[in-house]
Amino acid sequence: MSESIKLGLFTYDIKNGLGLIGYNVDEHEHAHIIVETSKCNDCSHMMCVWGCPAQCYNFRDQGLKEMKFQYEDCVECGTCYIMCDQGAVSWNHPRGGFGITYSQG
Amino acid sequence: MNDETDFDVIIIGAGFAGAATAFQLLKEGIEGDRILIVDRGEPIGSKNLTGGILWGRELDDFEEFLGNWEMDCPGIERCINHKKVGFLSNEDALFIEGRFASWDGTGGTEEPSQRASWSVLRAKADAWMAEKMEEAGIFVMAGMKIDQLHIDGLDHGSYDARDLTDPAEDSGKGGAQKWKVDNLPKELVDKIRNGSISGIVQDGDIMTSKVVVIAEGTNSVLTRAYHFDSMLHAQSKDDMLLGVKEVIHLGKEKIDERFNCFAGDDERPPSGMAMELALSLYRDMSHEAWEKYPNTKGLYPRCGGFFYTNRDTVSCGIIVQLKSLPEGLHTYDLYQAFKAQPAIAALIEGGEAIEYGGHLCPEYGLHRMPHRFTRDGAVVVGDAAGLVFANGMQIQGMNNALHSGKLAGKAIAACMANGDVSAKALDATYTKSLKASYIFRDLKRFEPATKFLNNPANFTWVPELVGKTANRVFREIGEEKVTAEKVLFGVRKEMRAENKANKKGMSLFRMLKLALMGRKL
Repeated sequence: MSESIKLGLFTYDIKNGLGLIGYNVDEHEHAHIIVETSKCNDCSHMMCVWGCPAQCYNFRDQGLKEMKFQYEDCVECGTCYIMCDQGAVSWNHPRGGFGITYSQG
Repeated sequence: MNDETDFDVIIIGAGFAGAATAFQLLKEGIEGDRILIVDRGEPIGSKNLTGGILWGRELDDFEEFLGNWEMDCPGIERCINHKKVGFLSNEDALFIEGRFASWDGTGGTEEPSQRASWSVLRAKADAWMAEKMEEAGIFVMAGMKIDQLHIDGLDHGSYDARDLTDPAEDSGKGGAQKWKVDNLPKELVDKIRNGSISGIVQDGDIMTSKVVVIAEGTNSVLTRAYHFDSMLHAQSKDDMLLGVKEVIHLGKEKIDERFNCFAGDDERPPSGMAMELALSLYRDMSHEAWEKYPNTKGLYPRCGGFFYTNRDTVSCGIIVQLKSLPEGLHTYDLYQAFKAQPAIAALIEGGEAIEYGGHLCPEYGLHRMPHRFTRDGAVVVGDAAGLVFANGMQIQGMNNALHSGKLAGKAIAACMANGDVSAKALDATYTKSLKASYIFRDLKRFEPATKFLNNPANFTWVPELVGKTANRVFREIGEEKVTAEKVLFGVRKEMRAENKANKKGMSLFRMLKLALMGRKL
């Protein structure tokens, strides 16, 4: 097997990808997803981290001691809600007019 | 009579399902100013993303509102006359290509009805459809998210829809039995779940209607909270696919040239290519992830690739079943592996990514449909109802959305004319016609295909075996040739010797079983 297919060599430049999306970010008090990060400490799998296509969830894989969630880059797909089985993710759509604005779709 | 409620019908979501419902209601004689359609996106379409092709000419039924949609709608990109199916492994690629002159009206026939599949960009298409709805006199409101449905005699200040969308804690979702609702009185919950729906609530304000149509799309909070999806049927890892894609700009000339497309003229739209791929790109990535995260050892991502040409961009992405994602692999890195496969990299060379995005695709199949499509005064249509069909050869959701919207429009108009919009009356019209339609017939006929598609073989050794065999069959090395069958079994032998998983998975018995299942596609 060639070396080039090893893990780590296929790293999507997610920061760049997210930079291509338009957002109208709402204020913190209106964050559309609320994560009870204390519940994440007991979680054995962090599937939100692996599933989220927008890297909104950062935890042990990034060397962090606790879950760090940020809603600003969210693409509103709902993957984290589906993946979380700890009851930590309270999910809703952002308020009207806020959040992601695709121009291609 | 009309003035009892603010509107006759309120539609939540201005995607294809919602728009089709609205246009159909107009066709049935409902006045435009009695129809309100709201969408949380501003502009409309800005929340939508597709990794699909619009199949069929459902939009023709709305010609009086849309005119020549295939030429005029900016998001209807290219007419697909050229379809490819591919098998990709890290080193090899095999494509089967069909080029059908009759499909685009440029070859065997110039009949537009032969043009029946379209690459689309939904942000643009939905915005255009919203304009057409406004022109037709429908009330369209952008940038409005609906928090709750209005239920007679219920204090909407007493709960948040989110209170009703927590899965029961011990249920692990997949096999879960119910939603956990522990902070609301039972009587209230009962009313929320079974009361008669008669409008919408936004920011505390109520707008009333005789019927509410939920066309929220995939991942619909309202269908969960208002119990169209009992937890038994609910959206879970098993039936949800995540699409991750980039829109990559190449320029129209380059696309016409590179993909050998018809450029289009005054009467005919440009033609294009659609490609769907079976991927075995993730074996080594998975093995490495397992070493780090042994919890999900044995799990390979069930992942398919798609590639569509738009007017001056291409849509390039993957779709992964959430249940099959092992720990340690980011979904966007799965996309990167696809994008970097040499055969794909060659297609996007010189292009510039202009948008990235992710979106869920409900692929419930018959066994996990919402347990009801109607309530007193409400119906659910399109992706919100999980009306997506997939058999590996085709994935269809957008035409199903349009079709279910039409059926809903017809049914609602008929029920309103009879003065009875109860769940029973809506079931006797909408649900009944939905179940008799091609949407359900397709789902039923191809139910066994799901079993075949979910077989891990298709995400591990099958694409590799096909690629390697093709590699050897096609290569001329000036030596004595052997039959393709012999090559196939030679490759199989080598692959089986490579590792234990292959040895087990590629036994004659299992291969035969897989082939038998594959006949049902």
